[in-house]
Amino acid sequence: MTAHEKESKIGVYICHCGTNISSVIDVHALAEFAKGLPHVVLAREYKYMCSDPGQDLIKKDIAEHELDRVVVAACSPLLHEATFRKAAEMAGLNPFLVQMANIREQVAWVTDDSSGALQKAEAHVAAAVHRVNEHKPLERRSVAITPRVMIVGGGIAGIEAALTLAEADKEVILVEREPSIGGHMSMFDKTFPTLDCAACILTPKMTAVKDEPKIKLMTYSEVESVDGAVGKYKVRVRRKARYVNEDLCVGCMQCIDACVFRKPKFPNEYDQGLALRKPIYVPFPQAVPPVPVIDPKTCLQLTKGKCKQSCVEACGDRNAIELEQEDTVEQFEVGAIIVATGFKTFDPSVMPYYGYGVLPNVYTSLEIERLVNAAGPTGGKLTLHDGSVPKRVGIVHCVGSRDKNYHAYCSKVCCMYSLKLAHLVKEKTDAEIFNFYIDMRTSGKGFEEFYNRVQNEGVHFIRGKVGEIDSAPSNNGEPSNLMTVKVDDTLLGEIRNIEVDMVILAVALEPQPDVDQVRRMFGMSCSADGFFLEKHPKLAPVNTANDGVFLAGVCQGVKDIPDTVAQASAAAAKAMALIDRGYIELEPNTAEIDEEACSGCKICNNLCPYDAIEYDEEKEVSRVIPELCKGCGTCVAACPAQAITGVHFTNAQIFAEIEGALFDAAPAGV
Amino acid sequence: MTTLQTDPGMEFLAQRVDGDPAFGCIQCGTCAASCPLGAAMEYPPRQLILQARSGNLDKILSSPSLWMCVGCHTCSSRCPRGIELADDLWPALRDRAMQEGIQPPAELQETFQNIFKYGNSLGESARKRLDWAKELDVPLRDLSKEPTAVEVLWLVCDYPSYYPRNQVVTRDFARILTALGVRWGVLGNKEKAVGDCDRLFGEEGLFEMLVENNKKLFDKHQFEKIVTLDTHSYRALEHFYPRYGAEYPVEHYTTFLADRLDLLKPLLTKPVKATVTYHDNCCIGRRAGIFDQPRMLLEAIPGVKLVEMARNRENALCCGGGGGGMWLDGHIVEHGGQRLSDQRVRQAAEVGAEVLAVSCPLELSRFEDSTKVAGLENKLLVRDIIELLAESMDLGEKEK
Repeated sequence: MTAHEKESKIGVYICHCGTNISSVIDVHALAEFAKGLPHVVLAREYKYMCSDPGQDLIKKDIAEHELDRVVVAACSPLLHEATFRKAAEMAGLNPFLVQMANIREQVAWVTDDSSGALQKAEAHVAAAVHRVNEHKPLERRSVAITPRVMIVGGGIAGIEAALTLAEADKEVILVEREPSIGGHMSMFDKTFPTLDCAACILTPKMTAVKDEPKIKLMTYSEVESVDGAVGKYKVRVRRKARYVNEDLCVGCMQCIDACVFRKPKFPNEYDQGLALRKPIYVPFPQAVPPVPVIDPKTCLQLTKGKCKQSCVEACGDRNAIELEQEDTVEQFEVGAIIVATGFKTFDPSVMPYYGYGVLPNVYTSLEIERLVNAAGPTGGKLTLHDGSVPKRVGIVHCVGSRDKNYHAYCSKVCCMYSLKLAHLVKEKTDAEIFNFYIDMRTSGKGFEEFYNRVQNEGVHFIRGKVGEIDSAPSNNGEPSNLMTVKVDDTLLGEIRNIEVDMVILAVALEPQPDVDQVRRMFGMSCSADGFFLEKHPKLAPVNTANDGVFLAGVCQGVKDIPDTVAQASAAAAKAMALIDRGYIELEPNTAEIDEEACSGCKICNNLCPYDAIEYDEEKEVSRVIPELCKGCGTCVAACPAQAITGVHFTNAQIFAEIEGALFDAAPAGV
Repeated sequence: MTTLQTDPGMEFLAQRVDGDPAFGCIQCGTCAASCPLGAAMEYPPRQLILQARSGNLDKILSSPSLWMCVGCHTCSSRCPRGIELADDLWPALRDRAMQEGIQPPAELQETFQNIFKYGNSLGESARKRLDWAKELDVPLRDLSKEPTAVEVLWLVCDYPSYYPRNQVVTRDFARILTALGVRWGVLGNKEKAVGDCDRLFGEEGLFEMLVENNKKLFDKHQFEKIVTLDTHSYRALEHFYPRYGAEYPVEHYTTFLADRLDLLKPLLTKPVKATVTYHDNCCIGRRAGIFDQPRMLLEAIPGVKLVEMARNRENALCCGGGGGGMWLDGHIVEHGGQRLSDQRVRQAAEVGAEVLAVSCPLELSRFEDSTKVAGLENKLLVRDIIELLAESMDLGEKEK
């Protein structure tokens, strides 16, 4: 039941994959079996089919034996389908006349039962042989790419990617949810292990973003929806009402001084609530853009509709304050997207035995970052809640990390930032410092050396995860800041109660609370740890399963600043490689509508997840837009008139494949 | 040289039921530093695993530490590797010790014998099971005499049946059930210990015997659900009985009553003016996550001002009576440990409580003893939630 005039000639190639396949499946017997299948003119086995000599085998056979179809029984097509299609193409064969049988992931790796494995591998090979016999040559199409990149998230990852792309003269739209770019890095005082001042190295980059004409910066804005596909994504961005016109504001900040709230009254989110701000504020002095924002939840005019509006008065002729401003939504067309949405820190109040939120001098590491920061709420002076200087400080590692009750993963940066904080606290207060750790993880350039430096500064290291933190029994009813840190000193083999007056909880990094929503919007997945999933953990660490969407920074998995910057550069390069080419080649396995058979019912139009079907009002038929079609088959299955075909998944091909899978080979020798 | 296959310690650690394999232990010491008695132990929890996997199983089996766990479950709930020290490891070690002929502390041995011989931990006669009901002023359905279908099979449990201080609470509960219109019955002289603690002490064989007998007994009767006064019995029926194929719908009285709060509320008419704090017991609290219902009951009582101790809910300090601790006080103190109930009553007094409310029958006597030790007698009253409810419903017994 071949669909072509002349008898096809199929070559079958069985890969040993080193011993990955051959240790379970008798590859020789499998090749012998393949020789007995219809239209198969030769079957070979080889140690590494993906190697050059392996591919040469195929090329040579195509030339010598006039093969017109090829089956490779090896690994998952995800890995090497492209390799073998290319080999066939180089030998002059249409690449879509190649079919793979996955006998590694689906057979060899899932069983130790050799005889069962051979049987299943035979079914896979027979299915592929029957199917390929029905394949038709297909041509790839190419479509133009919109040469513009959207970057979501304006932390150091987004900033680095944006600047890299702008440097290459690419158009960038950088979207940031908060009123300023800068992200977590802008909150830190110093960075490990070099103790570089974070602001000194970050703010020039932030300013560069603002001044770069190629970058359209949208702060206080959020992506609302993403449509289209690689090369032509349509992204809608909501710009939240800031109530201050960014184009008219000169950043003089007189409006803030003039606010009817004479003193700051509301917790500044940026300072982790440790400092207060007015309803009109900039989150921190180096904010970019240097434009105030009005908080609609606390501004008198916006809540009560009644205020002197002294901010408006102070702004004067510049007229930058716009209390009537509303959210606006803009749509952009971009060729590629870089997701760099960062992380949040773990909230330790869910571990009641550490006393966070109950004992006043138990802080998170991020709070201490703000308190030791010269631009922070205390101007860099580190004190306890009552204003006194801490004398004994405990730093508790692995809070929320390496803990199945919260996050099973190691947050990777906490050992190092704890060392950094130990150093900074020591420098500022000369306090006695105790690090409570499970394992010190200091693998990185200059990390171990920094650990040694901090040890030599006289900081204590106690191996044991803290069990609980309680307020120490008071002396004669005198109020006291003292707390008891209860720890099993596992090296000493003794349970110790160590008195401290300040505790720093080295909290985990965790995915943003809205990862699920964001994941869906950009067509990505999350790995088990909740961070966005890269396409391949080793070989495609910045790609996602969705073409044209790339990842940078902690949103993909915990990492420090150098790794984040490296990944952001990689994501920019990947995006650039995509858009710089100007076009993309589309896989031709799309859907096709037979206009004769189409009744124009529009069921497919509404079902298509990629908006890839348009409706021709004149002819009253639906039509597939090949650039957008991903070949998912939804419309094929849904069409009541059976007018739609998946061109590489025709009924004939699928039935042949099933027939092959159930094919009972004639006994050997017959 | 030892290998993974032949080392008894490693083999032992591999056999887990509830938690993750103890091989995953990273020796962080969270368990030891969380254990309220860890500092007094020769081998606190972390070291049990360390010693077992270092081939020193015999050392821990013969150590007094083995009999110092009071089953509070704090170690298990905090373990970053999900290892079930309290429910899996500790009872298995004790079971192993007894199989190897190592005798538990005498007081505990006697309790085992009581359960074996008399079917209750107090060593009382089965004929006295219903003595608590002698002065009862509501009708009692003894299902062992007149089998009939009931809504609630009420397992009264050992302490509430026999111990005079608890019998008051037991009668109050009978009155509350009746006032709520519940069709309830008890098993009378046929009721036997359920045995959660027996399993936790590690007497797995005795526990199995109890399950078998109780299953036969329960299967003779028709009921919609079992309600228990004892939190340990609740936990045994809910968590451990199903392992032996004995699955019954079971509730502790706190959730049973909280579900009927709409009916209960109109009956709570008489104010009970007191500052009350609630002690989360380990069986229904940390182990089963029942934190809100006991508080809902207390807050429903007019006049009650509920205050919280610094350590509450999943972070509550154990009374020291679980896991056999009720019969191990002597052993624990002898080896340098403290009675946890003594610490707990002080914590209650620190927050200004006049009443320490409890929902586990072992706690009444434990905490009342401790108020004497701590000099809090008459300053801090220990009362079961049931008593407070009954008082507000004007069903309570007058103090003698």
